[in-house]
Amino acid sequence: MSGSGNEGAALTPQESWGAIHTTINKTRSSMYLVGTSPILLMWGALTAVLYLIEYWLQTGGSALAEETPWIRAPAFGVLLIGGMVGSGLVGRRYGSRNVSPEASRAVGIRVFFFWVSVVLAAWLIPAAAGMWSPEGGAQIPHVAIGIVTLGYILYGIMTHAALAAVGVGIAAAYYLPDFLAGDAALPVSAVATFAVVGLGAMWLRKIGIR
Amino acid sequence: MSDNSAVLDETIHQSVRLRIMTLLVSQPAAARVAYRFIQRTLDLTGGNLTIHLRKLRGAGYVAITKEFRDEKPSTWIQATVMGRQAFAAYLVNLERVLKGVTVPEATATIPQGRPSRPSS
Repeated sequence: MSGSGNEGAALTPQESWGAIHTTINKTRSSMYLVGTSPILLMWGALTAVLYLIEYWLQTGGSALAEETPWIRAPAFGVLLIGGMVGSGLVGRRYGSRNVSPEASRAVGIRVFFFWVSVVLAAWLIPAAAGMWSPEGGAQIPHVAIGIVTLGYILYGIMTHAALAAVGVGIAAAYYLPDFLAGDAALPVSAVATFAVVGLGAMWLRKIGIR
Repeated sequence: MSDNSAVLDETIHQSVRLRIMTLLVSQPAAARVAYRFIQRTLDLTGGNLTIHLRKLRGAGYVAITKEFRDEKPSTWIQATVMGRQAFAAYLVNLERVLKGVTVPEATATIPQGRPSRPSS
């Protein structure tokens, strides 16, 4: 017998086939999104701190920035490495709550290398374009934020469109103040970025992505 | 529904149980999946999921374990060897039904992995 009986509408063979493929896709997406909300919040906070450090270097810390312009590299490097290590720990913790290590290991490695690639691209592409210089340094964030946004959009296409929308929001939180807020652009971007990721994380949790 | 659907395993051939089994067998053989992960991914109520898990456990297709992690209770589900074989046989039969082949009472097993789309 079909087995549906009194347990709801009967499945046709075609519906069964479709349900199998849909479930495989949903399962894969869910596994790749485990831990997304806290990781997103953490990166929002780190990005906001990064904007505020840069603002301080351009204003209150201008003497330090002029004497040691390379100070940005270790300061931002510590934030990025801290964020990557933190993401790994959060992802592992959340992953272990949802699936056993046999299932989560391969996914975790792929997610890790995806984002490492994005971060490396955000550093290396400006370097290859000759921006790591006193003249081009100010343009680096414009390119780097664009690459990170692309990372969010690609990841959202592969997993859930909501993440792509959050990526667009992060880009808007940087580029709009940059065009409109003049000297106050960076602190405005810091607040806007934290607001975007906070709202984004709440939205993701609401639609079942944790 | 065609007569061929009669050979489809009635325990698996139900909307919720088919999705539960698909989720479980798409994981590596030894992998366990948290109850909450299944509930969230398949968008099921707790009661609905529990009812269908009991039926699958009764058939020997899934194993359910409860344990404490971080001092919180958690329930873990795993497809058994019998469950994986039954799902593989279900896929073989489903593919035959979709191709319009008259299906004998098949108990065939196929290698684990994503099913290919039937050519019909």
